[in-house]
Amino acid sequence: MKNMNRRTFLEGLGLAAGTFSLAACGGNSSDSGTDSGAKDDSAAPADDGSYTLVEDGKLTVVAELGFAPFEYMDEKTGEPEGFDVDFAKALGEAMGLETTYLPNQKFDTLVPTIKQGGKADVAIAAITINDERAESIDFTDPYLDSNQSIVCRAGSGETEESLNDASKTVCCQSGTTGDEWISENLSNATKVPLDDVTAALTGIQTGSYDAMVVDLPVSQYLIKQSFSDLEVVEEIPTGEQYGVCVSKDNPNLTAALNEAIAKIKSDGTMDKIETEWFGTTL
Amino acid sequence: MARKSHEVIEVPDALDANKAAEIAFAHDQGLTSHAFTKGEHPIVRIEHLNKSFDETKVLRDVNLDVWPGEVVVVLGPSGSGKSTMLRCINLLETPSAGHILIHDNEITHASGSEVNKLRRDVGMVFQSFNLFPHLTAKENVMIGQTKVLKKDKAEAEAEAMKQLEAVGLADRADFKPAQLSGGQQQRVAIARAVAMHPEIILFDEPTSALDPELVRGVLDVMRDLAENSGMTMIVVTHEMGFARDVADRVVFMEGGVVVEQGLPAKVFDHPENERTAEFLGSIK
Amino acid sequence: MRRSQNKRTTRLLAALAIALVAVLALVPTSAVAMTTNKATARPNEDGGSGVIGGMDTRLTWEGTVEDGEELTAITLSLPDGATFDHSTTRVTVLEGLKRVEIGNSTTPSGSSITVKFDEAIPADSLVRLEITDMQFPSEGGDYAVSGTYETADGTRQLADSPTIAIIANTPLQAAVNWLDEQPAVQAWNSVPFLGMFLKPQLLLTSFSSLFPGWLVCLAIVIAAYPFAILLGMVFALLKISKYKVVRAIAIIYINILRGTPLFLQIYIMFFGLPMIGINIDNNVLGVIVMAINSSAYLAEIFRAGIESIPVGQYEAASSLGMTHMQTMTNIIIPQTVRRVLPTVTSDFITAYKDTSLLSSVGVMELMMFSKNLTTVSGNITPYMAAAIFYLIVTLPLIKIVGIVESNIARSERGGGPRPKRKGASEATAESDLTNSATAVHAETADKKLEDALAGVFAPFRPQTQTPEV
Repeated sequence: MKNMNRRTFLEGLGLAAGTFSLAACGGNSSDSGTDSGAKDDSAAPADDGSYTLVEDGKLTVVAELGFAPFEYMDEKTGEPEGFDVDFAKALGEAMGLETTYLPNQKFDTLVPTIKQGGKADVAIAAITINDERAESIDFTDPYLDSNQSIVCRAGSGETEESLNDASKTVCCQSGTTGDEWISENLSNATKVPLDDVTAALTGIQTGSYDAMVVDLPVSQYLIKQSFSDLEVVEEIPTGEQYGVCVSKDNPNLTAALNEAIAKIKSDGTMDKIETEWFGTTL
Repeated sequence: MARKSHEVIEVPDALDANKAAEIAFAHDQGLTSHAFTKGEHPIVRIEHLNKSFDETKVLRDVNLDVWPGEVVVVLGPSGSGKSTMLRCINLLETPSAGHILIHDNEITHASGSEVNKLRRDVGMVFQSFNLFPHLTAKENVMIGQTKVLKKDKAEAEAEAMKQLEAVGLADRADFKPAQLSGGQQQRVAIARAVAMHPEIILFDEPTSALDPELVRGVLDVMRDLAENSGMTMIVVTHEMGFARDVADRVVFMEGGVVVEQGLPAKVFDHPENERTAEFLGSIK
Repeated sequence: MRRSQNKRTTRLLAALAIALVAVLALVPTSAVAMTTNKATARPNEDGGSGVIGGMDTRLTWEGTVEDGEELTAITLSLPDGATFDHSTTRVTVLEGLKRVEIGNSTTPSGSSITVKFDEAIPADSLVRLEITDMQFPSEGGDYAVSGTYETADGTRQLADSPTIAIIANTPLQAAVNWLDEQPAVQAWNSVPFLGMFLKPQLLLTSFSSLFPGWLVCLAIVIAAYPFAILLGMVFALLKISKYKVVRAIAIIYINILRGTPLFLQIYIMFFGLPMIGINIDNNVLGVIVMAINSSAYLAEIFRAGIESIPVGQYEAASSLGMTHMQTMTNIIIPQTVRRVLPTVTSDFITAYKDTSLLSSVGVMELMMFSKNLTTVSGNITPYMAAAIFYLIVTLPLIKIVGIVESNIARSERGGGPRPKRKGASEATAESDLTNSATAVHAETADKKLEDALAGVFAPFRPQTQTPEV
């Protein structure tokens, strides 16, 4: 409940922020354009490889902080924690920058926030690289592979087939790949996009929803931590990859981040973070 | 709670009915032009009536008897307690001490249902008319008949039209109060009270809220009632002309007590009490 | 037989087996070693869930490389009319849940597309091709993806995928396509603000796809309101009761509900009730929350309304011999209803708008639909469409409130002593000033408080208000 109160408040902020950032991001984003991924009309990058930052000396990160184990707020300190947070800090270190986080923001507002620019340098929030997003922002090289999962009440006996039925309600976090996966693969079920993973899982516990489609590491982690009466009924091998979102106006930052990613992958830092959060390297 | 006077007023018990009738018969001789006979009982007996609001004593030991069919006009300056006395008679105010008896029945400690029954027999016309604004004139006159007397609709409607006719407003039967002038509203209010055929009808400054040119119509209606209905009427008013012409008896109150009472001609022309004279002088 | 091969330990492959059975049931094919798991297409109907032919969509095809095979290339084919021109392909190769990077090159040609892999994909791998910006034939119909694949042994026929239902262009979509081509519309959309907030194409599709959400909003508030009125009346009467305990109950109920945001009440009801074992359908629960919340406001409105009726009305009714009950039902309540009608209508408007908060707990109402559509389209226009849907209801009601208010004002001006005499205390100018007058004046103060409260709660309605900004 404590967690939700915070949500209630932050949600308002998040929506407002999202709306304004969307509002400012111009008219062509909605066209199902054919120039996917093309780095057109970007501001010319400085030849010396320098990049701009919202705040000098700092890598400002925006994320939806309700996606354990990737990013969540520590209950006691209120500080962001998680795999992505350690990863972001490692990136910052590799680039000689201090990593700071903006307040929690709804997931479906992250990409628009980066596209609009001016608030955050990067969004690091288990964001899967896909073409739609790549139309609005640039992705770095992938830093982690992931899959989706279907979560139900333990012993519900649901399967992908049984869920693809008009009588079923399947929720997801709004704007995630899970959201999209339901549209395409469970088109008969009623899809309920929510802002909050905790709310979604609680809703399954209480019977409001039949299932949730969410990133596999997240469902595994949360079931182990606090939703013991839920289970992953199906692992969906999507092989999707997380990337860091950077504004298209800042290609040199993307390049610098790619270098940093390569560096922490090669010097063992990434392995260390993976082991810390997943018990193994992936 | 707050209304209760700190001081507990001790009053004697109500008199025995026959005894009270005897005393009243003796007392009221020559004070009223209304004919009453020996052995007849007053319809309203007010004995040692006291009423206080918080610390303010409004009525102090008021005693008054009213005979069946008598028209009593109560005069007095503002704040003399005359309206309060009137409102005590149908228990819109609860007396602090003393007795009010109607047909020799003590009403001062009546229960809820007894109060409702009592009020059926005691009509009231208010200074501010208090018509029901959501109902037409006719419905205003009907509602008491249908809801309280349980008359059927047609009967109540016929009675309502008769009473509206009597106050000269049959043609306004379907008007809402807001569409009527103050004088017309008060005449509807009189019709509403009369339609219940109460034995006693109380008028609480019925013309005070009216523009002068509208007063007359209302007084005419009241005069007609006094002369032809045979109802007992207790009228609190400042209309001296009406009092002089219509009243059987005039009661002058001041400071919460009855200062003087008697025949209109007597009280108006030869007041015994200095205060009465002063008041009447000021009015003239 | 192939089924038994598939029966591996992981649940994943069990699921694939089921899919495979479906495939085999559909297409009795010759021996094929590359298994087609599924093929799906991304819905491209604006605001809908259908896949429309002749418009860009994304085809996702999944297959498993069988034992003893190594895949070097794959060609997917669709019937004539489909096109892979301009499409881009994302290839994912998985061993179990583990991603394997394999370089590839893609060659689209008309209604088929070929992907060549830089190195052979080993057996048991899952291959997924996501082909963006391809189109199905515009006439619609059920299409299976067929094709061939290459192994070291040569080229083989690929099993047909389960069919994908493609709908022919809908009239709505045709209208959208027509709009797409209008230079005026293009010019309009090229203005960032207009294109973002009022894109005609999206406005059109939003209206059709938000419609069910609008009906849900209306249904919820219309179903909730009678209960709210009933409950509100009960608590109004409790609050003016003679008995202290009864009054206290009403005061607690009203103050808790008015003193906490609806948002919070929704969360508590939606997550709290199931926790204690009460499971109610989401929409019904929505009706209940809205009814309870409104009842508290209505109770205060009714109470203030009842207390605003001059004491003279009670006295007049009493003097006719009416009981308290008769007085309330025949005299006081009918007048109260007339007086509170504008305020109640305003509260109805608020309640209608507040149904938007139910989207946060998954009730499929207007905001939920527009949020979805905005997420999908990355455009604010669906919110503008939602705003219009709200206004369709609220504007006429606001107008009605105005008319009713001026009617009441006129009828009260029309004559009668009340306005002229200033307040209800006129009845007994010389006595009963204290208690009646205070009761009436308390009402005005309360109305002010109510307005103030409404102001305080305003920030809790961001979802309805932001799009209007």
